[in-house]
Amino acid sequence: MDIMREAAEIVRYREFLKNLVIRDIKVRYKRSALGVLWVMLNPLFMMLILYMVFSALFKVSTVNYTAYIISGLIIWNFFSQSTTTAVASLTGNSNLIKKIYIPKAIFPLSTVLSAMINFVFSLVPLVIIFYLTGTPIGPRIYLVPIIIILVAMFSFGITLFLSTLTVFFHDTIYIYEVILMAWMWVTPLFYPVSIVPEKFRMILELNPFYYFINVFRGALYMENPLFVQQFLYCFLLSLAMLTMGWLFFNRLREKVVFYL
Amino acid sequence: MPVQGSEGVDGVSGATLQEASGTEHAGSQYEGIAGSRDCLEKAEPMIQISHVSVKYRLAREKPKTLQEYIIRRLKGGRIVYEDFWGLREVTFDVVKGETFGIIGSNGAGKSTLLKVVAGVLTPASGSVVIRGKLAPLIELGAGFDMELTGKENIYLNASILGLSKKETVEIFDKVVTFSELSDFIHSPLKSYSSGMVSRLGFAIAVEVNPGILIIDEVLAVGDERFKRKCEEKITGFKERGVTILLVSHAMDDVERLCDRVLWMDHGSQRMCGDPRTVINEYRKAL
Repeated sequence: MDIMREAAEIVRYREFLKNLVIRDIKVRYKRSALGVLWVMLNPLFMMLILYMVFSALFKVSTVNYTAYIISGLIIWNFFSQSTTTAVASLTGNSNLIKKIYIPKAIFPLSTVLSAMINFVFSLVPLVIIFYLTGTPIGPRIYLVPIIIILVAMFSFGITLFLSTLTVFFHDTIYIYEVILMAWMWVTPLFYPVSIVPEKFRMILELNPFYYFINVFRGALYMENPLFVQQFLYCFLLSLAMLTMGWLFFNRLREKVVFYL
Repeated sequence: MPVQGSEGVDGVSGATLQEASGTEHAGSQYEGIAGSRDCLEKAEPMIQISHVSVKYRLAREKPKTLQEYIIRRLKGGRIVYEDFWGLREVTFDVVKGETFGIIGSNGAGKSTLLKVVAGVLTPASGSVVIRGKLAPLIELGAGFDMELTGKENIYLNASILGLSKKETVEIFDKVVTFSELSDFIHSPLKSYSSGMVSRLGFAIAVEVNPGILIIDEVLAVGDERFKRKCEEKITGFKERGVTILLVSHAMDDVERLCDRVLWMDHGSQRMCGDPRTVINEYRKAL
């Protein structure tokens, strides 16, 4: 099977994958004053701003609003960062791909892994907020690593699709950024689901990330009567997205080098 | 490893690319190939290229953006394609330990051929069988990141060529010594001259210890002393039984170093065999 072979090739090139991720992190923080600290401070600042703006509106209906925001924020950032940086992962490495054999899926994969590392760092402010607000950790906390992996799979599927599409259509990034913006609004990031009127709730339920974010919060601290069902959805969605992304990538894989 | 069959997007049947050790090769499809194609072996060759053709699809007014594409499709317009064959029915074998030269004028398809061998391009038809580890030197410094230091780039490049961290540590000193860059190894590559970059690239590829070495016009860099070091290395490789594919415009080098030479012309192979003979014919045709 093609996907097995590609996976084996990526394992063979794991040293290169490691170098890619390290290089990405180095380049990202080499010139910044705050460096790695920024990964932790950014969600904290975002959360503070959102809290100040929206707490007047939503605080009444949400318990632990700060915990709500920051948990949604960091999982959303993981998803949005990995997918946006991956868009140019093939075109940006065209000099390599055109000259030497490398299993191409390694490039979008490295962006997902980089985003995952940033995510792990951003767990620090989350822990701090939870501690300061006295938010109790839920009984399903052990599921968090699995949920991260599911989000990673889901993102990876999208990155395989986007990175390949960009080779043929260079405006993909602009279109995707607009889609992502809209996507963020239909994801209950800083508003509770209860705020949404019944007739619009269906839109939320059509958003695959709705389930990921609910399940992430559910595993962390939130009560969620539909947890098991939504967790199952997450599993199916990640598998589906990964499969679709892979099929698209694989179909055009050999054609890509002619267009880089 | 199982044979991979793949379908090109445009429906042209794909190629079979295998990295095999002892895989069965289906029968002899070399019967009936006449004349100049006498670069075929009976025993198991290291590199086996048969009937490889590479197609470039050039589209007139190709839509570069998704917007354009959708609009074009909605309007029902058809995109006119033109096929350009970069390689046509190229067939030859390279034996283990052989130094195989490829010559031809610019645009003849030499680099395309090397890319097919290296696994960068997938042929539209034909098969490629490689038995061994490849170290390609197609445009030295592929994978070099100008922002990183020489040392960091050695590790990066070695990993691209398939080396583990441990193996890279082992060859590190030898690479630095051979490239004569020990004073600059901690400086970023963007401060290097192009000659220095090439020397580093060559030094890395040479220390990787490949079964098959592909050299594309590389011998042209560096001063006389470095060129001589490179040649010594290549001679050393030959003695150790490393298979070498050499593309060069320097006919003297080709004649001196190669066991057999292939002459490529406009994507097809014109002649293949004894270096002196092929080079003479090539010179006559110029």
